[in-house]
Amino acid sequence: MERGFFSNVELRTPSGRFYYSLAVLFLLLVAIITLFPFFFAFTSGLKGSTEIFAGGLNMLPQVPQWQNYVEAWQRFDMARLFGNSFVIVGVGVFLRLTISAAAAFSLSKLKPIAGQFITYGFLLTLMIPPIAYFVPLYMTISKLPLLDISLLNTYWGLWLPYSVDAFSIFVLKTFFDRIPVDLTDSARVDGANPLQMLIHIIMPLSRSILVVLAVLAFVGLWKDFLLPYLVLTDPRSQPITVRLFYLADDYSVNLQMAASFIALLPPLVIAIMLQREMKIGLTLGGVKG
Amino acid sequence: MSSHTFDQNLTGRKTKRRFASYANIRTMFFRQASAYLFLLPALIVFIVFAWMPIVQSIQMSFQDVRLGQEATWVGLDNFALMLKDPAFEIAWKNSLEFTLWSLLIGFLFPVMIAILVREMRFAKGFFRIVYFLPTVVPIAIAVIIWRFIYDPDGGVLNEILAQVGIGRQLWLQDAKLAKPALVAVMTWAGFGTTALIYIASLQDVSQELYEAAELDGATPFQRIQHVSLPHLYPVMSLMFVLQIIAVVQVFTEPFLLTNGGPGRETLTPAMHIYNRAFIRLDMGYASAWSVTMIVVLLVFSLFYRLVNSRLTSDS
Repeated sequence: MERGFFSNVELRTPSGRFYYSLAVLFLLLVAIITLFPFFFAFTSGLKGSTEIFAGGLNMLPQVPQWQNYVEAWQRFDMARLFGNSFVIVGVGVFLRLTISAAAAFSLSKLKPIAGQFITYGFLLTLMIPPIAYFVPLYMTISKLPLLDISLLNTYWGLWLPYSVDAFSIFVLKTFFDRIPVDLTDSARVDGANPLQMLIHIIMPLSRSILVVLAVLAFVGLWKDFLLPYLVLTDPRSQPITVRLFYLADDYSVNLQMAASFIALLPPLVIAIMLQREMKIGLTLGGVKG
Repeated sequence: MSSHTFDQNLTGRKTKRRFASYANIRTMFFRQASAYLFLLPALIVFIVFAWMPIVQSIQMSFQDVRLGQEATWVGLDNFALMLKDPAFEIAWKNSLEFTLWSLLIGFLFPVMIAILVREMRFAKGFFRIVYFLPTVVPIAIAVIIWRFIYDPDGGVLNEILAQVGIGRQLWLQDAKLAKPALVAVMTWAGFGTTALIYIASLQDVSQELYEAAELDGATPFQRIQHVSLPHLYPVMSLMFVLQIIAVVQVFTEPFLLTNGGPGRETLTPAMHIYNRAFIRLDMGYASAWSVTMIVVLLVFSLFYRLVNSRLTSDS
């Protein structure tokens, strides 16, 4: 039977019950504090613009102003901002996974000469703090070497740097390594080329880990601030995180809160709906060091 | 006997295969070509957007680089300038204080949460998901909400504290409070993920260990002390290092919430890199700071590896 440091018998004794209730209360209190900013943004978004600054502790709005949410949606042009974010993040996740899966497949199954060396090269980027090469990265984006093209104010300026992810390559390679060589060998004998092997054998077997990495990439890229902030200076193309932060100051606090709450919904919905994948992904992240 | 014939078979096959590979050097070539074809996209993006920028960062730290001008070599000038910059001491001291605050507020807290959540006989999943929800929140959005919570006039935190008789505080404007206030936001955003990792690790503790400890007369707290915690030590030591590495690099929270203020109380090295490179447009000087950060973090992780291997080989 399931037990922890408390045995099930002990939990039925008065002192066991007491400590257990204490633990539940403590965890509930932490849960309330954790959820408080979400709740606070939601209810503050429902308040009137003077009510929100009325002193005293009044958590709930006197009369919920639902039109604040409509107004925030329109004034911040949130449909467009969400659209931008989804395009940036969607293509970013797709590119990152495609490029990482192809590289991991090659390293795991096609045995390139110097593959080990290249793997170390990929992993090296996990040890260098990203902020430490952010300046030359920005200069590269503003003027690509050899091609002399500027990617500033284009989504490629985000998509291409976003596809650099040694962590995905590493996780996928580890996963592919566990797929028996017999499977790929017999496919090769049957005349399958590597691309067919990847699409028809490797990918279907790795669907679970690909979803985990996609969820992780989605949340990570949706949160990104500094790169889109510097690369996209045109307000019409900015993602919601960047634009909302800079617009916020121009509007009353209740509208800011309403807009913030709306902006939180997509990642929250994804995290709740795909919580199993999130859980696996986040614990994967813990062992990468 | 049977193994002997097996070995013979194997060597026989090996030589045959070697002959085959000489004959099929063309297939070998095409196999390598296709292997590199699959690696190519990753190699290109890594070269252009990671490896070259890393090398350039080091190179630029020895150069005078300004936008639109030819770079010139200046030797160690940038580093000499950096050491004379009053911001150097301030930023790294802040970084150290941030680290201490974050360990104080956020290191043992997720351990405690994980041990208690592991103990729950129901609603385990509820707690797990609630605690990691802040992880998915973009910092830029969280900042809009938190600066209103911290607002000195009408901010909800002051109102709540007023109920228990604590006076109005200027959370983000007070030199003494700004750092812990920022660390509180960072802890809110991150403790759930760490707790999740500890919970996953605690799942591996065999229940017999707890039973055996109980039979030996260990109280519940002794069972935590002698069974749960020792099991977590390796993960805790890793989390300790990852937390420090993350805090040393911290940028977005102080940049958006306090912009380094009040004064320079929350100025971090990463923020100074940003300011020098993108406001003053002095890329060479900023790179000297970048290289310093790389060195500090590498030395720190090497030191950790050393201490860790000493400790594990001792026991």
